[in-house]
Amino acid sequence: MAELTLKAQTPLRGYSNRFGDTRLSELSDTAIYSIGLALETAPALKAIKNSLGTDWPEPGKSASSTDGVYRLLGLQADQVFVLFSAATASDGQSQQLPNLGQNTYTTDQSDSWAGLYIEGLSAVAALERICPIDLHSSVFEIGRVTRTSMEHLAVIILHEAENRYLLLSPTSSAQSFLHALETSLQNVIPIPIDN
Amino acid sequence: MSQVNRIEQGLVDTNRELKFTFNDKLYIAHPGDTLASALLANGQRLVGRSFKYHRPRGIFSCGSEEPNALVELRRGAYLEPNTRATVTELFDGLQARSQNHRGPLGFDLMGINDLLSPFLSAGFYYKTFMWPKAFWEKLYEPVIRASAGLGSLSGLPDPDSYDKGFLHADILIIGAGSAGLSAALLAGESGARVILADEDFKLGGRLHAETLQVDGKSGSQWATSTVKTLSKMDNVRLMSRTTVYGAFDHGIYGALERKTDHLASAHGMPRQVLWRIYAKRSIVCTGATERSIAFGNNDRPGVMLAGAVRAYANRWGVTPGKRVAVFTNNDDGWRTATDLVNKGVEVSAVIDSRSIEAPASVAGASIIMGTNVIDTMGRAGIHTIALSNKQTIKCDCLAVSGGWNPNVHLTCHQRGRPSWNEKQACFLPDGVLPPGMHVAGAANGALSLSSAINSGFLVATDVLQSLNLNAAKMPSVNADDESTNIEPFWHSKQSTKRCWIDLQNDVTTKDIVVSHQDGFRAVEHLKRYTTLGMATDQGKTSNVLGLAIMAEHSGKSIQETGTTIFRPPYSPVPIGALAGRSRGKEFKPTRKTPSHDWAEARGAVFVETGNWLRAQWFPIEGETHWRESVDREVLQTRNSVGICDVSTLGKIDVQGKDAGEFLDRVYANTFSTLAVGKVRYGIMLREDGILMDDGTTARMGEHHYVMTTTTANAVSVFRHLEFCRQCLWPGLDVQLISATEQWAQYAVAGPNARKLLQKVVDPDFPIDNENFPFMACSDITVCGGIGARLFRISFSGELAYEIAVPTRYGNSIMETLLQAGEEFDAVPYGTEALGVMRVEKGHAAGNELNGQTTAANIGLGRMVSKKKDSIGNTLSEREGMNRENGLVLVGFKPVNSASTLSAGAHFVTRGNAATTENDEGWMTSVAYSPTLECSIGLGFIQRGQARMGEIVEAADPLRGKSTSVEIVSPHFIDPDGERLRG
Repeated sequence: MAELTLKAQTPLRGYSNRFGDTRLSELSDTAIYSIGLALETAPALKAIKNSLGTDWPEPGKSASSTDGVYRLLGLQADQVFVLFSAATASDGQSQQLPNLGQNTYTTDQSDSWAGLYIEGLSAVAALERICPIDLHSSVFEIGRVTRTSMEHLAVIILHEAENRYLLLSPTSSAQSFLHALETSLQNVIPIPIDN
Repeated sequence: MSQVNRIEQGLVDTNRELKFTFNDKLYIAHPGDTLASALLANGQRLVGRSFKYHRPRGIFSCGSEEPNALVELRRGAYLEPNTRATVTELFDGLQARSQNHRGPLGFDLMGINDLLSPFLSAGFYYKTFMWPKAFWEKLYEPVIRASAGLGSLSGLPDPDSYDKGFLHADILIIGAGSAGLSAALLAGESGARVILADEDFKLGGRLHAETLQVDGKSGSQWATSTVKTLSKMDNVRLMSRTTVYGAFDHGIYGALERKTDHLASAHGMPRQVLWRIYAKRSIVCTGATERSIAFGNNDRPGVMLAGAVRAYANRWGVTPGKRVAVFTNNDDGWRTATDLVNKGVEVSAVIDSRSIEAPASVAGASIIMGTNVIDTMGRAGIHTIALSNKQTIKCDCLAVSGGWNPNVHLTCHQRGRPSWNEKQACFLPDGVLPPGMHVAGAANGALSLSSAINSGFLVATDVLQSLNLNAAKMPSVNADDESTNIEPFWHSKQSTKRCWIDLQNDVTTKDIVVSHQDGFRAVEHLKRYTTLGMATDQGKTSNVLGLAIMAEHSGKSIQETGTTIFRPPYSPVPIGALAGRSRGKEFKPTRKTPSHDWAEARGAVFVETGNWLRAQWFPIEGETHWRESVDREVLQTRNSVGICDVSTLGKIDVQGKDAGEFLDRVYANTFSTLAVGKVRYGIMLREDGILMDDGTTARMGEHHYVMTTTTANAVSVFRHLEFCRQCLWPGLDVQLISATEQWAQYAVAGPNARKLLQKVVDPDFPIDNENFPFMACSDITVCGGIGARLFRISFSGELAYEIAVPTRYGNSIMETLLQAGEEFDAVPYGTEALGVMRVEKGHAAGNELNGQTTAANIGLGRMVSKKKDSIGNTLSEREGMNRENGLVLVGFKPVNSASTLSAGAHFVTRGNAATTENDEGWMTSVAYSPTLECSIGLGFIQRGQARMGEIVEAADPLRGKSTSVEIVSPHFIDPDGERLRG
């Protein structure tokens, strides 16, 4: 009998597509963990600073470790998401979440979320069709993050760089979310019209 | 047909020609034309029929207020009725048809209604169709329905697409006329984020319709250059073809942007976008709409609003007539006469109801002061008018100005009431405006050009200051300050003919009088009784006229009479736009389980449970009926092993030093005492003691629990827990996060379940009965080191496990488990077999936890621990919920084993009638049990436990049947639980 194995697949099967000046592509090889704080926050915050190399971000803001390995998304006062690369290195090892001690509560969320990058000049115009929050760069500055909803789906949106947004939405409805974004892009990318 | 009424000097591009058809006749127009201007240019005066009397009607206005010129646009599935020709931007190939007539437009058979008008006045329906009663459904209603409605629908699905969107601004400026442009200019230069929206395709409002000057150039040129300046500002978003149709709470505005209506084809792009605009402030610069004057036969084609006649000449280079007369009660009407004369159009007379000195001289025109028009002649278009001084005047167009009504609609959308201004004879916004809203320009009574521009600047300055933004220096603009003097004149009392007020609904002055006589005197009653102000134009040209006449009859002032409440939308919004993308499959998101692709490839039949698609059963070759598949899946599972995707169950990670205490408080039973590595079934009560949800919770570590919820309540339970954590007990050290999506979870059930899993679970994790007994749980690895979780729990009643792997492996593990189970003839089973087995086992599910039942009802009253407090604990002790004859969950078997049971049937003692008084309970769930080879059911019945063996009737009057059933234990199989502990 053949050896029993399991094959992993991402929610969007490595999707990547260009719509005019804007690309939509699946986030890959990224670990996502939630970190919740115990009531006694001081030792927890210290452990996070020591282990992840960054301060705890306020809700709505993100923070990155100085070496760029960890990015924390401030989602609520006592909970953040930490994102880091889960790619397997040449030595066969992959980055793991360090032990943050007894005053933090972590949960693996890597498989809970489908991630999509939308990047390009039409990113904001496309998001305007489904995203209720104000994406103007003076309001939702680079580095800002928030929970919102798009087309009835829960979404975490991070303004990662100019005209580049990371969107996380639940895995089970990833296809619907992708379709919503594809439709938005198709609806805003100008097409030549001769009348 | 040549453009007989085209005059030069308009703003249309006469160098290019566009072809269009109206009632299949080909016409020529130019870019910049509307359908209305093009029809007028081509001499087409008759464009439609009125709603009730089918009177011939022509174009009346030049904007969204148009009551008459409603047409059907496009063909086939793209057909759209009730489109206003006055705001339809012309494109090459446009196809339009007139509507609301039987037979040709020029000879409408329904015109007979006009002859019957003496019988069809206000309140006709209410008075006429009262008797005989039997006639209503079979005669009156069908006839009324056949006659009602404007235009026709294709009856085909709309092939266009629509979209929605969200916009944000510091300042939303509604209307891009003189006030809107000046406000936008100042706000834009001051750095505010501005949205400037206008329903027209050409920004500038009436600046393009007038010959007034701004800074030494035409208003139209000033508008064009201002728009150009604004278009270069990154902080200003210009939105033409966009109607802000509603002002809602919290500074939210609804707007409809017509994206491709001006194109022959949408080219796959959304035709319209419905925007939700969040604005910190808004400036309503919606201008004003001209109103008419009521006189005899004032509805004939050729009778138009004076401002519209002027606009057609100045903007579109079209004269609506070769010989025009003007009837006015204000100075503004005179400008129509002077503008036309300046363009070489003959003006035969200017009739002014005021007995004053003529405000202007009009070359070649008779000036008649202190007189009014009492009648018009010309069936399909006027040729003569009769005056109160007995004079008659030849004209083919009568331009009427009864004054201007500021467009205050948006200011009233949150129940604001405008106030009547006697001097200006119009309603103006009152002090109570929606929060953040300001009004400028003609909408606020600044009716002259100069005052409107200044008003825009001033209001913008105030708004900027309220936003703590430094206002740029107010530009110095020198604009014409034309006279707007008015002396109200509502209707011709000398006229003996019907005087029309609401052209769209055929409401006359007589109808107002009848309404008054019949006691419907309040404006809201007046509207319903006469239909004044209803339908697509919502009375934009008629409301004030109607209520002014009502005021006159009731002896009240116009202020006392008041207006009806203006509600959104300001102008019609297509249903398609309201739906946006949410059509068909896109109506709601679809959630797929981790093994969806595998199940689909396997030919599963899916069922929607909430947003989830779940495999209901897996038919195999030769099976022709769902029962065959389900019976096979049940029997194969009970006889060997089956696998079911149960990933949809809610999973909540509960962590913290007080996690146990937290669970003790939200669950009725105790969890703090649960050993690490063990699972316990729990029931959760609402505050009122009613069952809320149930499920198992596993203790994975000292401070770590994993709770499962039902699929349906996954979100509501999580929300409830967060409320408890954050609001009720913030002092508890506990953290929650949903892990529903993180884990793909599968029930592996049946006597060979363990043997199958032993091939998948890595050998480091023994799962024999001794090491992993019933209700054990553990973190494990599978298939050579992949992290997983295993729970020894059973919903089917069999030896069973639930194995969870990270979702990324969910699609793969079904194949792997079946591969491992090949030697046992393992079978995948769906939700239907799952349901059958849980009924056979007597487990409660959603049908039993229906929001009405208690723990005692389902036989689990003792699980409500009295050693601790928990939500719902106290109120579950209420007397009414603990009656001796209370409902108890039991099983039911048909006396005749061939009978089929039905859920929803109610139990009555044999011999009793099936009445509410004799009702003793109801059947909650039924299934055909392939194990017992008969239909079985679960249900609630009074004193159930004490009535084992009793025969009762399961009455189902809704389906017209009654079945004798025996009360039995709800545990149809393995009541002692030997299998699941095996």
